[in-house]
Amino acid sequence: MNGANRALLFRLTAREIRSRFVGSATGWIWLILNPLLLLAVYAFVFGVIFQARVPAGLEMPFIAWLAVAMWPWLMFSEGVLRGSQAIREHAALISKVALPRQLLVTASVSAVFLLHLAGYLAVLLAMALLGVDLAWSGIGRLLFALASLYLFALGLGLGLSAIQVFVRDLEQALPTLFLFWFFLTPILYAPSLLPAGLAEWLRWNPMSWWMAEIRGGLLYAEALPGLVALALAAAALIVLWLGSRLFHRLSPHFEDFL
Amino acid sequence: MTRPLLSLDGVCKRYPPTVQSGERLRAFWQLLWRGASTGGTPVLEGIGFDILPGESLAIIGSNGAGKSTLLKIISGVLAPSSGTIDQRGSVAALLELGAGFDPEYTGLDNLRFNAAFLGLSGREVDERLDDILAFADIGESIHEPVKHYSSGMVVRLGFAVVASVRPDLLITDEVLAVGDESFQKKCIRWIEGYLAGGGTLLMVSHNMYQVQKLCRHALWLDGGRVAMYGDVFDVTQSYLAWHERKDALESTGPRNSSAPYQVRALDMVGVTEGTPSIACGGTLELSISLAAPDGRPPVALVGIVRADGTPVYGVATDHDGVEPVAEPGGGFRLRLRFPGLPLLPGGYAVRAHAMDPEGLRVHDTVEQSFTVTGKTRELGLVRLEHEWRSP
Repeated sequence: MNGANRALLFRLTAREIRSRFVGSATGWIWLILNPLLLLAVYAFVFGVIFQARVPAGLEMPFIAWLAVAMWPWLMFSEGVLRGSQAIREHAALISKVALPRQLLVTASVSAVFLLHLAGYLAVLLAMALLGVDLAWSGIGRLLFALASLYLFALGLGLGLSAIQVFVRDLEQALPTLFLFWFFLTPILYAPSLLPAGLAEWLRWNPMSWWMAEIRGGLLYAEALPGLVALALAAAALIVLWLGSRLFHRLSPHFEDFL
Repeated sequence: MTRPLLSLDGVCKRYPPTVQSGERLRAFWQLLWRGASTGGTPVLEGIGFDILPGESLAIIGSNGAGKSTLLKIISGVLAPSSGTIDQRGSVAALLELGAGFDPEYTGLDNLRFNAAFLGLSGREVDERLDDILAFADIGESIHEPVKHYSSGMVVRLGFAVVASVRPDLLITDEVLAVGDESFQKKCIRWIEGYLAGGGTLLMVSHNMYQVQKLCRHALWLDGGRVAMYGDVFDVTQSYLAWHERKDALESTGPRNSSAPYQVRALDMVGVTEGTPSIACGGTLELSISLAAPDGRPPVALVGIVRADGTPVYGVATDHDGVEPVAEPGGGFRLRLRFPGLPLLPGGYAVRAHAMDPEGLRVHDTVEQSFTVTGKTRELGLVRLEHEWRSP
């Protein structure tokens, strides 16, 4: 990516982020406040009403177990969904201005990750202040996992956004598919709480591996990324490669079908 | 030899069928596996030309001829269905009014955005900001959202950004027409300076005066094909003549073939076939052959009209006391010469009418169109004798 494209990506991402706050009086406050309010709701629902349990061997409230995985999931699912809509959303721009179109998808995915990263930080800090014992030494492993998750989301976003130009049905189907995916990923529950036969199936869901990576660092204090982290990064790169190949194959023809 | 800045070869464009979801799905698979899709409506066929650095080319043609599609393909917004495009150097295109503008954001934000689309970094924009604002000249409105702008203000801002980039190749679609008189003049002055400084221009316009002023070459598109390509004066004159002929064709009826007095032939001397063309100031010589039922010589009326039917001049044999010469076969023959033809370049037609010997009624009409060529920007139909005198 050359300098001009980098500058353009930066502007597009900044605009994407700003567009969330344009017109709201207090703007950036909501960036922090929203995640904290959401955290409070989860704490009430799962901690007080359902009295959900953390897996054996961990000494922390359930909300910590949930929150550590919840925000990475939000980054991923919202990133893919918004990224896949980026081309349709900017149809007017695409049909009039010659610009590297993949930047529109990249900017969408990046904006979502940055916004949720800010929320994630706020949530982690709030939990630390409330006395939850998070292993800060695992932050490096967490960031590595998030980086590979970003590449994975970007690859899916690129591929899906290109397909969505031709197959409009995807727009309707994707949110529901991601809802399924959410419940098939150990976010609200621990894999160890599932019946043995069912837990076997989770290994086929890449997101359950990412969640294990993320929790491994912050909750289990296993600070160093292992082979799994490398494998996930490699898988993410492969998905990114496939996604951008698909994108570049189809992108010259977008204008005809938008 | 200099390498062309832009080179098109056999460029075709079909818009694929996209109405039904089945068609979209089929196109999707075809593009995925073969990189091309089938079917669709052709809008451009076999377009090929080169633009050398420093050249100025106008694309003209009637509505729906494919001009905008061609510009979109050249600027990279649209991919051609087949054919190749080679391009070097930087390109800036002003394709449509407010292209790339987000109505929710202020003029300044959109200015920065458009500059980024054209490849300017934030620092470069800061350096040129004063120039851009001075050129756009929209005052404090720059801090207003673009949705409150008039279309003239939008085009001012858009052109100011493009002008600040000074691309190797500048592409403009019919956008300048929106600006007011003084802004259009400013743009034209800027384009002239840009061309003088070695810039290259590709423009679409319906304003032939502007086209002749700014461009040296022109390409006439008709129904997605190149109808004519060459010197701007030749192409624009043929184009205008074609339009006028089309208008005239719609307003005249069919010829009456049972009339007693008929025009058998109307020929231009020295012309074999095709649309004859005469240089401005040249000689027009006509040979007319008439038929009469009773052996009395008919009156011939000859007129010259602009291709749209506007009369320029008419004269009859009985005005001048001339009689057609009888021929052995029973007809009559005439020759008429216009030396030093003062018609200005454009499309014209000569009409020969056969009248009864009393010169009371027109019985038959034959029309032959011709083109007057020449490089002049004088206006009107004919060149009037004139002299500029020192006061």
